[in-house]
Amino acid sequence: MSAVEAGHASQSVMEQVGPNIIHHVSNSDISHPLFHIPPLFGIDFSVTKHVLMLWIVALLVGVAVIIPIRKFLSSNRATPSGWMNALEAIVQFIRDSIVKPNVGPKWVMTWTPLVLTFFFFILFANGIGMIPIFDVLGAFNRFVLGVPASDSNNMINHILHGGVTATANFNVTGALATITFFSIMAAGTMAHGFINHWKNLVPHGLAWPVYIILIPIELMGLFVKPFALTMRLAANMTGGHIALLALLSLMAIFGEMFHSTIAGVGVAFVSIPISVAISALEIIVVLVQAYVFTLLTAVFVGMAINVHH
Amino acid sequence: MEATLFVPVGLGLTVIGAGLGIGKFAAAAAEGIARQPEAADKITGAVNLPLFLLEGVAILAEVFTFLMLIL
Repeated sequence: MSAVEAGHASQSVMEQVGPNIIHHVSNSDISHPLFHIPPLFGIDFSVTKHVLMLWIVALLVGVAVIIPIRKFLSSNRATPSGWMNALEAIVQFIRDSIVKPNVGPKWVMTWTPLVLTFFFFILFANGIGMIPIFDVLGAFNRFVLGVPASDSNNMINHILHGGVTATANFNVTGALATITFFSIMAAGTMAHGFINHWKNLVPHGLAWPVYIILIPIELMGLFVKPFALTMRLAANMTGGHIALLALLSLMAIFGEMFHSTIAGVGVAFVSIPISVAISALEIIVVLVQAYVFTLLTAVFVGMAINVHH
Repeated sequence: MEATLFVPVGLGLTVIGAGLGIGKFAAAAAEGIARQPEAADKITGAVNLPLFLLEGVAILAEVFTFLMLIL
């Protein structure tokens, strides 16, 4: 499955499967980054696999979404066509059914750009994880170019380490949830003023003993909501990939258990159709998780603006 | 008996809870759409949010199970 795995021929397959799966979903090793950058202000900015994927996703979003939209806006056509048509449908859907019902017509134009950015970025970042470019590159490197898997100086072998899905990393999704966290405060401050936003956390007009319990609960809720956003997206992405990889590893496991390649190939007739079905489910999960993160951001921002307990 | 013996049991219980909750939600949504087919879009829209919050609960349980098993 990966060009690196065949290098450890001395270990049995069962021992290699677990670490192999973990390597495929987690970041590349921090001690061997893809590009080493000397520490700035004491922070190590070295480029790991997930950082590289974040840049690639940002580039893709720019090329596929931002540039066609700007070109369309600067031309004087009345109606879009083709890819721009699809983009307009998506943008309209998000503005009218995600942002406007939650945030209210007064603040739609303020918060739609942020929500749209979240949606497209998370969609592309999740979706890239389903495209096995690096595995194909590794296979190409090993079988066409003939570079052995144990050659760790080779550039292509080096960038194979680590998983492709950046949003499977809870640090990445944590950063996105932090943006949501501060957006909630910004929305409340812009709509009601800084002190009123904090006073709106709890409903008014209750007996004073209730506040002793309610205020800590609401304060915890402030942090739990972005935390749930983080873990929901990260766990959904990681879990899907782990399931897929475990199913595909079944072929190697059976091959070793019965000491014959035919057993492994035979299991492929079961393992691969199930993997195809799980990949289809993964594609649905990719779309749905992007939608849910966006929807929840809009809902939380809306809750800070239209306070109704 | 080691503590990690019961972690998968806990995960299974959480998944049963989430499954039952989502099932009730889907049943209520289907009944609402059956009573008033014109409101199908609104009902679907209203069901979306709690559905994914519940799914998030099950996924959080999976994450904590994984953490408990590795750490």
